Amino acid sequence: MKARILDSADVLKIVDLLRQQGHEVFAPFGGRGRDTCYDSVTDQNRGEIQIHLPNPYYPPKRFIFPHIERLMKVQRSDGDLQIEPTYREPKRAIFGIRSCDVAGIWHLDRFFLGREHRDIYYEKRRKNMFLVNVVCTDPARDIGEECFCVCADTGPAAREHFDLQLMDLGGGEFMAVAGTEAGEALFSAPFFRKGTEEHVAKRRAILGEVRKSFKPSTTSWFSAAIRHVSAGRIQEKTWEEIGKRCLECGGCTYVCPACTCFTVSDRQVGPDEVERVRIWDACALGGFTRMAGGHNPRRAVHDRRNRRFFRKLSHYFIQRELSMACVGCGRCAAVCHGDIGMPSVVEMIRRETAEVDKHEPVAR
Amino acid sequence: MNLSPVDNCYLPKIAILDRVVDEIAEVKTFYWRFTDPAEQAAFKKFRPGQFAQVSLFGIGEFPASLPPSPTEADTFFTVKQVGSCSAALHALKPGDKFAVRGPYGNGFPMEEYYGKNLVFVAGGIGLIPLRSCIIYALAHREKYKRIQIFLGAKTPRDLMYRDNLREWEKSAGVECHLTVDRAADGWTGNVGVVGSLFKKPGVQVAVEDTVAFVCGPPIMFRFVIKDLKALGFQDKNIVSTLERYMKCGVGKCGHCCIGVAYVCVDGPVFTYDQIQKLGEDI
Ligand SMILES: Cc1cc2nc3c(=O)[nH]c(=O)nc-3n(C[C@H](O)[C@H](O)[C@H](O)COP(=O)(O)OP(=O)(O)OC[C@H]3O[C@@H](n4cnc5c(N)ncnc54)[C@H](O)[C@@H]3O)c2cc1C
Ligand code: SF4
Ligand code: FES
Repeated sequence: MKARILDSADVLKIVDLLRQQGHEVFAPFGGRGRDTCYDSVTDQNRGEIQIHLPNPYYPPKRFIFPHIERLMKVQRSDGDLQIEPTYREPKRAIFGIRSCDVAGIWHLDRFFLGREHRDIYYEKRRKNMFLVNVVCTDPARDIGEECFCVCADTGPAAREHFDLQLMDLGGGEFMAVAGTEAGEALFSAPFFRKGTEEHVAKRRAILGEVRKSFKPSTTSWFSAAIRHVSAGRIQEKTWEEIGKRCLECGGCTYVCPACTCFTVSDRQVGPDEVERVRIWDACALGGFTRMAGGHNPRRAVHDRRNRRFFRKLSHYFIQRELSMACVGCGRCAAVCHGDIGMPSVVEMIRRETAEVDKHEPVAR
Repeated sequence: MNLSPVDNCYLPKIAILDRVVDEIAEVKTFYWRFTDPAEQAAFKKFRPGQFAQVSLFGIGEFPASLPPSPTEADTFFTVKQVGSCSAALHALKPGDKFAVRGPYGNGFPMEEYYGKNLVFVAGGIGLIPLRSCIIYALAHREKYKRIQIFLGAKTPRDLMYRDNLREWEKSAGVECHLTVDRAADGWTGNVGVVGSLFKKPGVQVAVEDTVAFVCGPPIMFRFVIKDLKALGFQDKNIVSTLERYMKCGVGKCGHCCIGVAYVCVDGPVFTYDQIQKLGEDI
């Protein structure tokens, strides 16, 4: 992978380059307090783009897998039907996407483009998407209380799946790493220069330091939790406890960069016209598995919670997609009213096993 | 499955309704075909036990089994009216257009069963997916050993596919046993749950080297499994179809996911052995 150095003052010129190439660029902006969000860059707001800021809760996956997306339009006339798929393949770029979210998009790639059927809507949007990853290096602004990318092995610096990666080396310099040919092509711009051994050493030193600034989190037990869930060793009462704390708001799935579920709905848009849309859905919600006739096989809340964590943590599914449906962003922990985000669930599983171990008979 | 990059797995194709036949109360059979003959020819390669997604635009889409066998000329659905989509299909008249996509799911591996005995056990509308297998097996009669059918319905009025039933009852190549929960209309046949047929004098259920297909309501399923196991059936030789709420049918929406399976792509056909390993209530 090729790398270059650029001045901090020139970083936003990358946004300009991408816009000149015809990309609609989405970048992170600050709001009030902790509130941050991705928005479309314009000439007016360009100067307000933030490089270091808390990762927005509303994940940038929506620029590839929109919250609500039209799939087709259907016209009725004289008893005839005309079905027209409505594809969108906008040329877009996400500037400033965090490493966890890059891993989330990789998971979506594996899921939507793999296995029996390819998702053409996803594919068309993905094909034209350029990702500029920013490494989280500022413990005060970039790294949240709940972040655990180090445990999920997705960050703080993504190793792949981006087009370009930027890292603040301090002292007014950034390092840019190309992940694809398209990323490398940007290096022809005059504001990039070759780096030195010192820059590489600096990068290594910063990453070593940043890794220490994560909260000594219980999610270091993450991989053990995966083993326990995969082996079906979680006791029913633990799932019940988790279920009791779930308010069924669905918030965790809407902020999750790796959740893929959706529902499909038809809506009348004209006297003879209907459109079919898909909308993000959440396995936490009561209607998710309800079948015609009212039979709901996953009625109990704890069964649905169980489902979410099983789907994310069981080895079976990790192997099925060859990627994991949890990337360690910590958003679910931040938004959950019942405190059963991923870190808490891992902690509950850890406590449960500690308890079970205590009662294990001692072999003589 | 190799798909060309332009394939849109969510895009249904236009179908025309040819005729509607009443089966039993609230259940009708809808004969249809794709308006595009090439589409029809491609679709006809489906396997018994697969399903399709049926679109009633403005209302929605729902999964329906394919009761015809690929060896038959016609394509049709048999649908019970339960909610909005099924009601919209029931409201269609011959000549009306709707849309279909599929076939989806794994289907029954009928070739793997060559050389075996086949035992079909169906309750109520559970016969819909099994009809396809039965007709398929009879069309390849020399490939299988004994073929036995055990069918249960609430009352004689609830027996569907009556023309087929009459044929199967008369046919030398197949044993067909019927039962109803409540006799009426001069019914002279067996009365009792479907499992009671297994113990009827003169009935000898094939067990060795046999595959048992079981489809029906959850309660019937549980009892029949018990009966079959008592007869000596192994879990891996009992096959069934699972029904889940489905939105996409192609393994993406997540609605049908149960334990470690996406029913729409890994199923809907599972052996009883697999069903128990899914690790969730069915
Ligand atoms: C693989 C597969 C194959 C199938 N094959 C067949 C087949 O061959 N024939 C067949 O008849 N069926 C079949 N089914 C079942 C069929 O798909 C369902 O009956 C169908 O989805 C019903 O759709 P609907 O729109 O008519 O009902 P819906 O309108 O979706 O709802 C039906 C019922 O759901 C409940 N419900 C819906 N919305 C709500 C709400 N908001 N609040 C509370 N309750 C609600 C109500 O009780 C309602 O009566 C199959 C299912 C699967 C998965
Ligand atoms: S489960 Fe929670 S921590 Fe894991 S990726 Fe989703 S929102 Fe982030
Ligand atoms: S029905 Fe959508 S994943 Fe199975």
